Amino acid sequence: MKVRIGFEIHEQLATRTKLFCTSPADYRDAEPNTNVCEICLGMPGAKPMGVNAEAVEGAVAIALMLNCEIVQEPVYILRKHYDYPDLPSGYQRTSMPIGRNGELAGVGIWEVHLEEDPGKYDPVTGKVDYNRSGVPLVEIVTAPDITSPEEARAFMRELVKVLQYSRRVRREGGTMRVDVNVSIEDGARVEIKNINSIRGLYRALKFEITRQKNLRRRGKAVRRETRAYIEEQMITRSMRTKETAEDYRYIPDPDLPPLRITPELVERIRRELPEAPHQKLARFVEQYRISRDDAWAITSEPEMADAFEQVCTQVEPARAAAFFRHIIKKTLNYHNLSFAESGIRVEDIVQVLRAISEGRLSQQAGELVMRRVVEGERAAEVLREMSRVDEQSLVSAVEQAIHQNPGAVEDYRRGKQEAINYLVGQVMRITKGRADAARALELLRERLS
Amino acid sequence: MAAEFVLEHSPEEHLARCLDRIEREDGRINAFIELNPRASEEVREAPHGRLRGMVVGVKSNINVRGLRATCASRTLENYVSPYDAVVVERLRREGAVVVGMTNMDEFACGSSGETSFFGPTRNPVAEDRIPGGSSSGSAAAVAAGFADAALGSDTGGSIRNPASHCGVVGVKPTYGLVPRHGLIDLAMSLDQIGPITRDVRTAALLLEVIAGRSREASMLNASPEPYSQRLTPDLSGVRVGFAREFEEFTAPEILGVVKRSLRRLEAQGAEVVEVELPSLEKALPTYYLIVFVEFFSATRRYDGRRYGHRIEEVCGAEVLRRILLGSYISQKEYAGRYYRRALQFRSLIRRELLEALEKVDVLAGPTTPKLPHRLGEELSPLEMYAYDLLTVPANLAGIPAGVVPAGRAGGIPVGLQVHAKPLQEQLMLNVMLAAEGRE
Ligand SMILES: [Zn+2]
Repeated sequence: MKVRIGFEIHEQLATRTKLFCTSPADYRDAEPNTNVCEICLGMPGAKPMGVNAEAVEGAVAIALMLNCEIVQEPVYILRKHYDYPDLPSGYQRTSMPIGRNGELAGVGIWEVHLEEDPGKYDPVTGKVDYNRSGVPLVEIVTAPDITSPEEARAFMRELVKVLQYSRRVRREGGTMRVDVNVSIEDGARVEIKNINSIRGLYRALKFEITRQKNLRRRGKAVRRETRAYIEEQMITRSMRTKETAEDYRYIPDPDLPPLRITPELVERIRRELPEAPHQKLARFVEQYRISRDDAWAITSEPEMADAFEQVCTQVEPARAAAFFRHIIKKTLNYHNLSFAESGIRVEDIVQVLRAISEGRLSQQAGELVMRRVVEGERAAEVLREMSRVDEQSLVSAVEQAIHQNPGAVEDYRRGKQEAINYLVGQVMRITKGRADAARALELLRERLS
Repeated sequence: MAAEFVLEHSPEEHLARCLDRIEREDGRINAFIELNPRASEEVREAPHGRLRGMVVGVKSNINVRGLRATCASRTLENYVSPYDAVVVERLRREGAVVVGMTNMDEFACGSSGETSFFGPTRNPVAEDRIPGGSSSGSAAAVAAGFADAALGSDTGGSIRNPASHCGVVGVKPTYGLVPRHGLIDLAMSLDQIGPITRDVRTAALLLEVIAGRSREASMLNASPEPYSQRLTPDLSGVRVGFAREFEEFTAPEILGVVKRSLRRLEAQGAEVVEVELPSLEKALPTYYLIVFVEFFSATRRYDGRRYGHRIEEVCGAEVLRRILLGSYISQKEYAGRYYRRALQFRSLIRRELLEALEKVDVLAGPTTPKLPHRLGEELSPLEMYAYDLLTVPANLAGIPAGVVPAGRAGGIPVGLQVHAKPLQEQLMLNVMLAAEGRE
């Protein structure tokens, strides 16, 4: 049975301010309802400032990276009216398409437009936090070109990667929201809301397709409806039927003149567009002479790709690539972190790779160092610590120093304090600098007292 | 010429006299909903700006921090503004003092001043008559000498209509010249804030203080001009248009006053020519359709969650009528038939007015088709809407229009309305000054 799946993806844009006011767009550390002003609270009389130019540029850049045409005619901002506690004005502002007719990984992109995020409503406590209200969102609408949950997952991974590469979206994670529509064999279209991870998307689709197939097998019709994905139970549940869906009473916002996206602006953004993931992958294969698989792994995240290029200015690329693909990726997966979140610095990687190539560190130990880096330590410290000689070797080095330098021992015993510093130096020479100098001093004093 | 507000007494003394008058007479007139308890302090601390000591009333749909912006509705009876409207900030910066919040038609939905939750306002000049609306309290406060000036808002005549009925000056500026941030919406694409004063010079001064670009999206990129310094009653070479259609729709006693006023303009050097506005009668239905849809949208925030009351449950009949009609005609299936048609007619009317204003410098004529009715007299909604026939075209076209007292008909004031091209406030004010007949 032929399955058709399409998406509406919402992601927050990483602008400095909100879409229509100067309240910060990053509200993560703010107490509830403090990251607000009369405009994003929709107070009586408040008027929007002009549409945030940074947000418009972000939407244009993303549309271009999704191979869209940029709309030439004026882009109206519409008011979409509905009644919900998280909407302070009773309407949400949403732009007409900014980009149209794009394509990514064989899936059509119908449109890209801007929207404002509503506040956050907690139905349990009945409280609303408007800190998020007015934060710019980009919404991407795909054609129903996807035919399985597996394809859906692969496409979403690719899309998330492109969004990350655009450097226009929030990197903190957890802000993406996806609405999915699914139909089987030209049956009724079912919309699933409330999905906020790729894993959730995959599970929701698995469940929903099975549900629809079962209905058809039993000879029942699939109803056109909106369902919610219930994360904890991995099921979808009916929300409301499309027939009785509210009328949003769209009107062009009378407070906002339409946007005009000039060809000059589009050209500038196109010129400054960051490399797309597939372009970077091809360049890495070519420039660094690494395998496609290595390049694929390294370019899975723009921050990791950047780090790789910096490491390659100091380390041989083939060795760096293997380390990234096998050690770093493994460590990140183990901690379930992205490279950007991991806190790994270029110098950490360079130091570990140098230690390995100089024979001071095994591959296995290298992985251990990276794990500790991810847990918050710096590679330099860890390496220093790991390379120290153990107590037993230190004691024998102290013995050897005393044995080989009777003159210095004699001087020290006669009260010449600085002679012991010479002996510490000898211990360090014998241990090739890997001894803890303070401990060596302690042992020498004990031994000679 | 003076570009400053001039007082006979100290600012403290002047405010005290205004407050004294309000205390004696406003029980009868009902121009104010709330007085500013800190006015006396504020006048002492007021900066030495161009409006130093000016006592100003503010319409109750404009936010003044710490005072209630009720819109004369139970819906917002407990809404204390947390912020100053941009125009209020600008007034304060020049030394003016807000004396109180003036009465109005509920949510500016009315042309008589009778629909306020806080009771109707009387016309101080003819106390058995309505003062007009919706800026009823603002015009009445100025006419009664409670304040030197007032801020009003004008969506389809709400400054000019009561200015005409109360015998004062009122200006609706070009759309986008005066910031609306802080003005509670009636119809966002039509609303403008403007001054109501006893003379043209003060109106010009107030306008130059409140006008000019701000950060809100719908502003024109216009700088304020020193209107009050450039005022002149010399109209040599100025062509004044008078539309034939004005005569068709206006009561004869009003026309008589208006025509005498036009002769005064001719005496100042103006040439009066006849023009045509064939779409004038389409203006009213077009205007109301737009108002209904935009007002419906604007009132969605009064859902009972944040401001105490759900608007539909506590508002008056006229406000409810507009919300329900707005909800109806903005439905998907009717929007094309009504709302989009209205927007097309709006463009037509705008084009026609701007074309007429290509042939002449200003248009001058009556403000309302009829004299104000007696307080309490029952009017049907359509009879009430008919008051706005001659004032809505300026809002639909976004052009400036001002009203200046032209004389009286049976003891009731009649105002001459002057329209000008976008951003031609200076010429409009000069014509108003000439009509005012003061030197
Ligand atoms: Zn804000």
